[in-house]
Amino acid sequence: MKQTLLRFRLLGEKGQTSSALLSLALVPMAAILVLVTVMFWVSIQKGAVGTPSAIYTLNNYSEVFSDPFVLRVAANTIIFTITATLVALLFGLPIAWLAERSNVPGKTLIYAIMTLGLLIPGIYTAMGWTLIAHPRIGILNRWLVDFFNLNNAPINIATPIGMGFVQGLSLSALAFILTAQMFRAMNPTLEEAARVHGMGYGKILWRVTLPLARPGILAAVIYILTIGIATFDIPAILGLGNRVYMLSTFIYLKVHPQGAGLPEYGITGVVGAFMIIVAGLLTLWYSQVLRQGHRFEVVTGKGYKPALVPLGRWSIAAWCFIGGYTFISKLLPLLLIAYAALTPYFVPPSLEMMRQLSFSHFYGMDWELVLRGLTNTAILVTVVPLAVLLLGFSISWLIVRSRSRARYALEFGAFLPHALPEVILAIGALLLSLFVLGTTIPLYGTVWLIAIVYVVARLAFATRALNGSLLQIHRELEEAAFVAGLSTFRTAWRVLLPLIRPTLFSVWIWSALLVYRELTVAVFLAVHDNITLPAVIWSYWYSGSINKASAVTLLMTLVLTPLILAAWCFGRRSQVSAQ
Amino acid sequence: MIVEKWPAQLGKVVLWTITLLLALGSVAPPAKATTLAELIEGAKKEGTLRGQWGQNSFGGSEGFKEILAGMNKKYKLNLTGQYTPGPDMQRLMLRVIQENAAGQPASTDVYLGNSQAIFDGLKSNLLRPMTYSTFIEEKPKPEGKFNAIAADGTHVAIATAVVGIQYNTNLVKGADIPRRLEDVLNPKWKGKIASTPYAAGMREFATPDFLGREKIIDFTKKLSAQIGGLMRCGEAERITSGEFLMLVFTCGGNDVNVLKRTGAPLGHTVIEEGTVLHMRYAGVPKNSRSPNAGALLINYLMTAEGQELLWKHDGFDLHLFPGSQTKREIEKVRAAKGKVIISSPQWLASFKDYSKTQKELEAILRRAK
Repeated sequence: MKQTLLRFRLLGEKGQTSSALLSLALVPMAAILVLVTVMFWVSIQKGAVGTPSAIYTLNNYSEVFSDPFVLRVAANTIIFTITATLVALLFGLPIAWLAERSNVPGKTLIYAIMTLGLLIPGIYTAMGWTLIAHPRIGILNRWLVDFFNLNNAPINIATPIGMGFVQGLSLSALAFILTAQMFRAMNPTLEEAARVHGMGYGKILWRVTLPLARPGILAAVIYILTIGIATFDIPAILGLGNRVYMLSTFIYLKVHPQGAGLPEYGITGVVGAFMIIVAGLLTLWYSQVLRQGHRFEVVTGKGYKPALVPLGRWSIAAWCFIGGYTFISKLLPLLLIAYAALTPYFVPPSLEMMRQLSFSHFYGMDWELVLRGLTNTAILVTVVPLAVLLLGFSISWLIVRSRSRARYALEFGAFLPHALPEVILAIGALLLSLFVLGTTIPLYGTVWLIAIVYVVARLAFATRALNGSLLQIHRELEEAAFVAGLSTFRTAWRVLLPLIRPTLFSVWIWSALLVYRELTVAVFLAVHDNITLPAVIWSYWYSGSINKASAVTLLMTLVLTPLILAAWCFGRRSQVSAQ
Repeated sequence: MIVEKWPAQLGKVVLWTITLLLALGSVAPPAKATTLAELIEGAKKEGTLRGQWGQNSFGGSEGFKEILAGMNKKYKLNLTGQYTPGPDMQRLMLRVIQENAAGQPASTDVYLGNSQAIFDGLKSNLLRPMTYSTFIEEKPKPEGKFNAIAADGTHVAIATAVVGIQYNTNLVKGADIPRRLEDVLNPKWKGKIASTPYAAGMREFATPDFLGREKIIDFTKKLSAQIGGLMRCGEAERITSGEFLMLVFTCGGNDVNVLKRTGAPLGHTVIEEGTVLHMRYAGVPKNSRSPNAGALLINYLMTAEGQELLWKHDGFDLHLFPGSQTKREIEKVRAAKGKVIISSPQWLASFKDYSKTQKELEAILRRAK
């Protein structure tokens, strides 16, 4: 059998197609390189960045690295991030395994539950947990203090570990989607062989399934770690108010001075520069696993049908686990949203407030603004996932299949925007569009500028998911196609893409949802015509109109829920028929 | 350490060249005497007014709609309006400065913001001089050295926010309501009250015109040990929910005035030592697409109808007008012999250490116990 090595070549039929893929892959790389350059340029400025009055100085670096407050922030962030990652895996990984490798009933519902969580802004999860576990007003604490006659509330959600728990709950949906496809594609042969040799299900899970799943799990870990470092909403609601600072709230205080002086974008640039090092280390770690990729190839030319583990009565326990997770992470915030949308002002729930429920906030809404935001969000949700899929597939294929060392640069480049605080990407895009592109390429104030930043930012998610799936497909399938005379492009179209269709579908829908709920870039780049729906919701929430923010959120959740359920039903049906 | 390296120098040359070239096309003609009739005529030709400010400022989108409707009715116009919620006042000012430097039209045809933001706008030469004193019909009387209409015609004071303490009226009542600075240091409030991450109020109290730097630094250290956490101005739900019983100090009690009308259990009090008046200003950026409509909006806000809308939507008005609601709150402070300081761009410019003091106060407040 002809051994085919894919390399970056400029000549020949296969080389031309690889060049086409390479060109596609390099487009976002160029954008990332430009944004990172702008970030470094911003990091050496003070004052009105980009204008003649800005001062060029390295003081930003010395300020950050000599400030003891920054050390405290770093320590908190590490504890918070590790906790969030562990909690996300604690829930996301078992639910992914249950959904894909067991015969638990109601799998479409599981997917829908995990997806719907993305419709709920993180601020509501944080507020919900304030009402539950705040040391003074938390319902759970009050009950524990009364019941056990305690002096102080035993639970404090406003610690790095407490906040990490809440963040982990909201990130477990991501852990789920990043690992579910990998479990689905697993060849059961190795597990069957282990069973034949007398291993129990528990040992098989520990010694066969999880090691095979390691690249996918590691991809999820790295992705969630970097989200945890930069995530804002939960640290802002739970931490800022209790003087427990994370990197994101530190950046927030610099970018929103609220008092004297202009925003300190330069400090944010310094943080971004530091995050590049973190991104580099994480990418190095991940590339070690990719190098051993062939060991994880479990989808081969031999026919396979994923076998499901029969749970029997354990299905009840499984659904108790899923139900408990759903209640604390999805249902409670949703109830809170509904409550806030219908009450005249926000106080803890009580019978008296229940008597005052009304739809007044819906009547008083600026519907022109809401529809403007909805239109822009609809454009982004349509365009961005398609671009992400196309560019992400190009990058992932080159990373997984190429033997060239340049693939590590691609891997690093695809991951880098994810490691940088999103506000950095937004600042870079703002300054580029204002001072460089200007009126020649009039992107400033348009939804397309936001779309470009989103595509760049979401590539890491797409490549994580696609890397994991492509790794599990043995090269012999492509080699057989080449031997049969198919071009590289047709091999991808007729062999690879059908095999990874579930992953493509998941990446598409999840990219769409991540775009739907993205806030930082949207708020930063909103001028007039390009404001998005999350930015509209945020503007209400940030201004203290939590009731109006809740009204819009509730409405959108109710509208989108049937669409998401329908999408998953369609997706599952086509995946089952493909099998 | 300032490092002038060639990229920075090249960047500066390029920016100055671009700015100069664009300024030739974009700089406003010198201010000439403009009557109200000329302003209205100019606004008619412009046809559209774009406004951008926070949803919690000046009534947000609802306030903008009513203001525009009022303008159209009063001046017999048919302006179309587009409101977009914007970032906080400082960041919005920076954005408009950057847009002007880049030769782009301003995000907002009229800038509404606080004295600090206007101070930054003046430093960047952003605001268009206009003959407000000619076309504003109802000119408020000056108060001492403070005049609502800036002498250089770049900005106008349109409203007054009174700094004080916000509290939950269900949980803080009667004699518990703080009257003096040290009342908030009562041990019964330990861990139950909040301050702001940007030391609202205290940075002004620290100026020589008020209580002085040393006294406020000392007070802030004690307050930092006393508070349970920090919250932004505008996060009233953290007071109504009982998470915090008080906010020491507010950016102005105007949001309480609005929320009280919904039945929210909120109150606002001013300490006897005195208060700072956080002024709100309006100005027209040089890169505004509709400068006449923008100036007309400013004029409208200085009428009785405009002031009523500001009171309705944002809980404040300009205390210099005789019928002002905010004036009553200030007169109570004066009656108690408290000091009243007006925070204006000129006043801020007179304190070189203002930013440094603020940073120091912020650092003290950030320290958890």
